[in-house]
Amino acid sequence: MRFLALLAALALLAPAPAQAQFRLDINRLIDSARDVGRATKDIDEKQEVEIGREMAATLLGAAPLVAHDPMQRYVNSVGRWLASQTERPDLPWSFGVLDAPQLNAFAAPGGFIFVTRGLLEGMRSEAELAGVLAHEIAHVLQKHHLKAIQKSAQVGLATNVLSLALQDRNAAAREKLIAFGRELYTRGLDRSDELEADRLGMVIAARAGYDPWGLPAVLQTLQAMNPQDSGLALMFKTHPAPAERLDVLEKAAAPLEPYSAQPQLAERFSQHVRP
Amino acid sequence: MKPLAAAIAALLCAHAWAEPATVIRATELKKDPATDAPTVAPLGENAKVDALERKGGWTRVKADGGAEGWVKMLVLRYGGAGESKQGDSGVGQLLNVARTGTSGAQTTTGVRGLDAEQLANARPNAAELKKMEGYAATKDAAAGFAANASLEPKRIAYPREGG
Repeated sequence: MRFLALLAALALLAPAPAQAQFRLDINRLIDSARDVGRATKDIDEKQEVEIGREMAATLLGAAPLVAHDPMQRYVNSVGRWLASQTERPDLPWSFGVLDAPQLNAFAAPGGFIFVTRGLLEGMRSEAELAGVLAHEIAHVLQKHHLKAIQKSAQVGLATNVLSLALQDRNAAAREKLIAFGRELYTRGLDRSDELEADRLGMVIAARAGYDPWGLPAVLQTLQAMNPQDSGLALMFKTHPAPAERLDVLEKAAAPLEPYSAQPQLAERFSQHVRP
Repeated sequence: MKPLAAAIAALLCAHAWAEPATVIRATELKKDPATDAPTVAPLGENAKVDALERKGGWTRVKADGGAEGWVKMLVLRYGGAGESKQGDSGVGQLLNVARTGTSGAQTTTGVRGLDAEQLANARPNAAELKKMEGYAATKDAAAGFAANASLEPKRIAYPREGG
């Protein structure tokens, strides 16, 4: 974010003739910075998907997909069915299993959802997979990542840079989005966003016909692990502790009691996801 | 048994698993997975049980004295209390071995993963993204996939904050 700070400073001191190679960008930034708030609120769906593609590609640069087509297609079937039950059924949803031993899951704006091989292999049923995917889907529905972009004025500026990048394919601006994605996935979303995604995730799983307690079951598995486990480091840094999430979910889950007997599909899961 | 190993073992034998758990507050052992089911026995705070099976928000357990019944899944905690938890999924060791290699020299060859360090150095991989988008299921295909397992869509409102 150092470069952003520089840009912000330059915007205040404009015009800034010393930075000749950036002059065009900065002039355009100054223009667009006048209505940063409006511009960042007006990210349309097409831009949202473009932002998401960039962030998703960055995650895939850290870990590629597991090279197992049937498993990837299986996870996409579960995920697409869940997404169809939401308020944004027509986003270009796609799902990927990342070839990483760590336990984690991610979302990017516009409908890009990831789960790591490490987390998938610790699950017992399709309902548990559905719970995790539904939590990530909820982040996309509620635009939590876009809100994180809007949150600080500096990063809001980055979104404007992004709009320029999407129109101009401006390499320097695109770099800033990539850097922002890395930073956000390392820092995590707001605690309240994570708890909201848990609550919504259980409902989405129930809407799709699954036993809604798949997500709490995965949280119990995580809670039982050694918190110092290196495979959990990033997830525990970026999420509230599993015990806290379980406590909060206990209240939210009560209205879902009538859906308790919905299927878990442990067999279909193990047919498709064998370590 | 290490939790992850236990989870994998549970995965292999689907529904039937027996995992030691602790009851975090006093509750009742129920004959069936329902609040209005008859009570088999009371369970005190910190009672030790073996978890056998989960159904919705309920887990079937075997209590110390041998009595079996159902408790709310969220009154259970696995793997002992906080600091006493031990073991590792092996991720750390794998990465260390790969980094050290036989020569002891640091190399990241073959090391893939998603910890903060690897994320910090990630460059976008457009080819993998294209591959991922190629795996996407259509709405209709996903509906067929759901119907194959008798997954029935329901209309359910989201809860308000705080339940």
